[in-house]
Amino acid sequence: MNAKIGVYVCECGPNIGQSIDIPRVLEVIPASEGYGDAEIVAKGFGLLCSGDGKEYLQKEITENGYTHLIVAACSPRDHNSTFMGVCKAAGLNPYLYKIINIREHCGWVIHDKDKATDKAIQYIRAGISRVLYQSELFERQIEITPDVLVIGGGIAGIEAALSLAGPDRKVYLVEKSGKLGGKSARFTSLLPRQGRGAEALREKVEAVRQNENIQVFLETEVEGNIGFLGNFEVVLAGTGNGTKTDLRVGAIVVATGYRLSDPKSFPGYDYTDSDDVYGALEVEEMLSGEGIALRSGKEPASVALIHCVGRKEKGYCSRICCNYMMKIAGHFKKISAGTEVTEFFFDMCLPHKADQQFFDETADLGIDFKRVIEITLSGTSVTYTEIGGGKQEKTFDMVVLAPAMEPCEGTDSIAELLEIDLDERGFFKEAHQTTDAVATSIDGIFLAGASQGPRGISDAMAMAQALAGRIRAQLVPGGKITPEVKVSEILEAYCTGCQTCLEVCGYGAIYYDDQKGISVVNEAVCRGCGNCYGSCPSGALRTKHFTNSQLYREVTEALK
Amino acid sequence: MTESDGKREFTPRIVGFLCNWCTYAAADLAGSTKLEVSPSLTVVRVMCSSRVDHNLLLTTFFKGADGILIAGCHPGDCHYGKGNYYTRRRYAVLKKVMEGLGLEPERLQLSWVSASEGNRYADVVNAFSEKIKALGPNPLNRRSDF
Amino acid sequence: MHHENVVVVGGGIAGMKASLLLAHAGKHVYLVETLPIIGGKTIKNEESFPNLECSTCLVAPIQQEVLQNPNIETMTLSSVAGLEGEKGNFTVTIEKTARYVKIADCIGCGMCYEPCPVTASNEWEENLGERKAIFVPCAGSLPNVPMVDAERCLKLTGKEECAACVEACMFGAVNLEDKDETVQVEAGVVIVATGAGLFDASSLPKLGYGKYPGVYTPFEFERLFASNGPTNGELKLRKTEKEPSKIAIIHCVGRKERGYCSGVCCMYSFKFAHFLKKKLPEACVYNLHSDICVPDKTYQKFFDGVKEKHSEMLYSSSVDEVEVTGKVDGLKVAYNNERDQPGEIDADMVILATAIVPDHNAAGLAEVLGIDCDERGFFRTLDDDVSSVESSREGIYIAGTAEGPKDTQTAVIQAEAAVAKALAFLETCRPQAAEVAANSKG
Repeated sequence: MNAKIGVYVCECGPNIGQSIDIPRVLEVIPASEGYGDAEIVAKGFGLLCSGDGKEYLQKEITENGYTHLIVAACSPRDHNSTFMGVCKAAGLNPYLYKIINIREHCGWVIHDKDKATDKAIQYIRAGISRVLYQSELFERQIEITPDVLVIGGGIAGIEAALSLAGPDRKVYLVEKSGKLGGKSARFTSLLPRQGRGAEALREKVEAVRQNENIQVFLETEVEGNIGFLGNFEVVLAGTGNGTKTDLRVGAIVVATGYRLSDPKSFPGYDYTDSDDVYGALEVEEMLSGEGIALRSGKEPASVALIHCVGRKEKGYCSRICCNYMMKIAGHFKKISAGTEVTEFFFDMCLPHKADQQFFDETADLGIDFKRVIEITLSGTSVTYTEIGGGKQEKTFDMVVLAPAMEPCEGTDSIAELLEIDLDERGFFKEAHQTTDAVATSIDGIFLAGASQGPRGISDAMAMAQALAGRIRAQLVPGGKITPEVKVSEILEAYCTGCQTCLEVCGYGAIYYDDQKGISVVNEAVCRGCGNCYGSCPSGALRTKHFTNSQLYREVTEALK
Repeated sequence: MTESDGKREFTPRIVGFLCNWCTYAAADLAGSTKLEVSPSLTVVRVMCSSRVDHNLLLTTFFKGADGILIAGCHPGDCHYGKGNYYTRRRYAVLKKVMEGLGLEPERLQLSWVSASEGNRYADVVNAFSEKIKALGPNPLNRRSDF
Repeated sequence: MHHENVVVVGGGIAGMKASLLLAHAGKHVYLVETLPIIGGKTIKNEESFPNLECSTCLVAPIQQEVLQNPNIETMTLSSVAGLEGEKGNFTVTIEKTARYVKIADCIGCGMCYEPCPVTASNEWEENLGERKAIFVPCAGSLPNVPMVDAERCLKLTGKEECAACVEACMFGAVNLEDKDETVQVEAGVVIVATGAGLFDASSLPKLGYGKYPGVYTPFEFERLFASNGPTNGELKLRKTEKEPSKIAIIHCVGRKERGYCSGVCCMYSFKFAHFLKKKLPEACVYNLHSDICVPDKTYQKFFDGVKEKHSEMLYSSSVDEVEVTGKVDGLKVAYNNERDQPGEIDADMVILATAIVPDHNAAGLAEVLGIDCDERGFFRTLDDDVSSVESSREGIYIAGTAEGPKDTQTAVIQAEAAVAKALAFLETCRPQAAEVAANSKG
């Protein structure tokens, strides 16, 4: 059957009508040569994107039996989807149509009417050439499972599990230690605005245990994972007994938390295990356990709290330490009002609206603040330079350090296993700092809490809820996902198995088939950017709807 | 069109591969603000500048393009994350190859134009058109029997 | 049985992201926005920290997706005027101010602007530029459909029988007979993402805002710098039209008065330093700061780079001690340094990094919705906790800077957390076998 192409030129009022000689276009286009036996029909219309216009176009497609459609009008960014809808309604595959931008790229920028008309004709001809090489493309639907795997049983993982679990959605919560709750469950109290208090946190742990839709695996790690959004096949392994469990989940949440860095690894922190120098977590444990006591058993009369330990070396602020150091300072003062408490800090980081108030109220308990530009520690002797001052030294009974938060052990191996990226600091890398902080480059794998970067409990819980929102929206029980249509594909005959495409793909959408020795695109994951196409040395790649054949046609027309 | 006796003016034929998310949007903005953009350039839309492979570029030159402009998002802004970093590398390689083929490397240009830079888009295109005009027609023009 | 629709109040980044996520889940969203365009404050920036990526490139695809999504009904020039009922069964009254231009018929050609005889100050451009009575706030606005300012239009104020715009429009899209409208919609839940405002710099007269034309607010500077702004990105000072050569950026303006740190001002102040040096490599830039607040893992590096290459960081012990005065050829900025001794900078431009404060309509909206505000005027969530998006009224959630100052990352996270709560509730009745687009791009 010969091709029959309908070319419809939109007048768009004065925008196209005045700047382009439409009658000349309509005259010249059907007479165009070089399209084989294709029949070209060209017509004009006032405003194709209007209700009337769409109706007219739909009728024209059906009545004329067009095999392809060209709409010469405005930018595809404005109305590509509008006319795709018209094609669908008329029974024409929407990928056998092309919109030609003769408004923004012709009439509006070429102010000589003749030249603008020439250009418009060139673009339309290019479009006709191209559209003849376009293929029908069909949307696919893929079944999914709505269940979720949460890696990490700390507060972020717990919040994610509780936000997601339901009769239609099972959550598998995997924790490598023998207990749920992570570090936060060991805190004596929480900041006034964090997760409604330590008691509430412990209640959450209990809620997870009682929830019949959450299956908890303690002393377990993730050993294997393949698949994609909606269809991950995961293998769990018990760390003690080695039992394996196979699971099929739709999404994976990485909530593996953090660890505090070792202050002794930073220059200027020189002390031994027999000195009364403690990390913040140790102090938390003392406060929620036996109480504060020096190694000698006595109570301290003077305490130095040193902020920002390792901040400069690591190159980032750990966000929550100023707040928790104030909390700890407050505890010391409440235990004994006479204790001399001195906070050494570089900057006070109080980004949340309620932080300043908490700071002010705690400061009122009688805390001495020293804003420093330099500080070193030797045993419990602090040598510091206050801003605008000279070097001073003071020895304290006890020193508490706020070390930089860093990625927890095993981050590297989890990243490798799940094929997600790490940032330059070693934390898991989010898909986009601003608009996609809970996602990763792999669709369906999410980040919550300090695994992504230093943050406190509130922010960790917010992230857990945010990813729950995404999972609920994307993986609807009983629903399906409709992946991108204009995806890349690899022609077996040409592929040499060099795997260059695999390496450049930012989405992990290409995998290597050992048996055949070629690379294969997973169409469910591919986003259609074409980077693989650009990298292939063998010409084996095709990105649907943007193949070289199709683009050549646009180019050829321009160079006639 | 060839410049033979200087009487016929050489109008360059330039192909612009513009990425959908940034530069194509800037071109649209140049349009909606009614800037004057040289008709020498023909826009070919791609989803990402990294889509543009060497095959496509070389064929475009062999078919007689006097200049090629590849334009995409500024580094760090790529809609697909790192695509434009690859574009940059491939472009550097192709520049080296072009000389060997008898093509001036200046005929290929890579520009970063973001979606809000309508003015910059017009400036880049117009400046490139002038540059190509000064360079003259594609020396490979006679070999366009593909 | 309850309603499955959602009303999202506020079309900024938080509102748009919430709307898109709900739409992907198959819910019908009414997106209510008071301005004639969506995009919120983020689109006022040419570039956003920490990556300094083009804000338009980031936000325009989101705006377009919102406007083209069949599940989202965007109502611009609209506000919520009433709310009745309870979680699951809200009846929301929405007042739609007349736009005087039919959105369905307008193709955004802009032919109506030139013939309009009325010129007015462009508020969206921070009054640094002008507009007509029929206008879009700036080139690239979405929806790309103008509105008529009923208080300036000659016809609508009864001053003259002018019909210049009506005649200029080839599509008959201008309709000066348009009327305000009130509609009622039913919704299961409401998400409030109405954003925030900036501290009024003129309330601190010592800083010279309003008195000296060389003193700028953050958004004034953003628009001055923006390539789609009123000066096409040329850094020309008010009145003198000259380029500045010495710029002082003053941090923490309003922090003490408001009682909290706004969390983002240090970062945008460093961004401004970067902007200034990019366009004016010979300029001297000073950041007068107290605490450096760089909470995100990526922010410190940005600060370090600006400190090294673009700006001299000067510790200023208190904004109370800062005074901007005029000289013959510019400004003088007096401050107290780290030794608490007087210091001085000559400058021709001063930018004030002002605190984030509740939106000027927040109190009114709180009353309409029947929700509480905290003592700072932001909408109260349970326990003042960023992870708690629940307002004081069941079924109403808060997201973004409407809850308190925060960066874009946190605003988007909160918006999606609000959606999680909304979906958890809306799906308690019955499961939905909805088809969902996983990669709906391009």
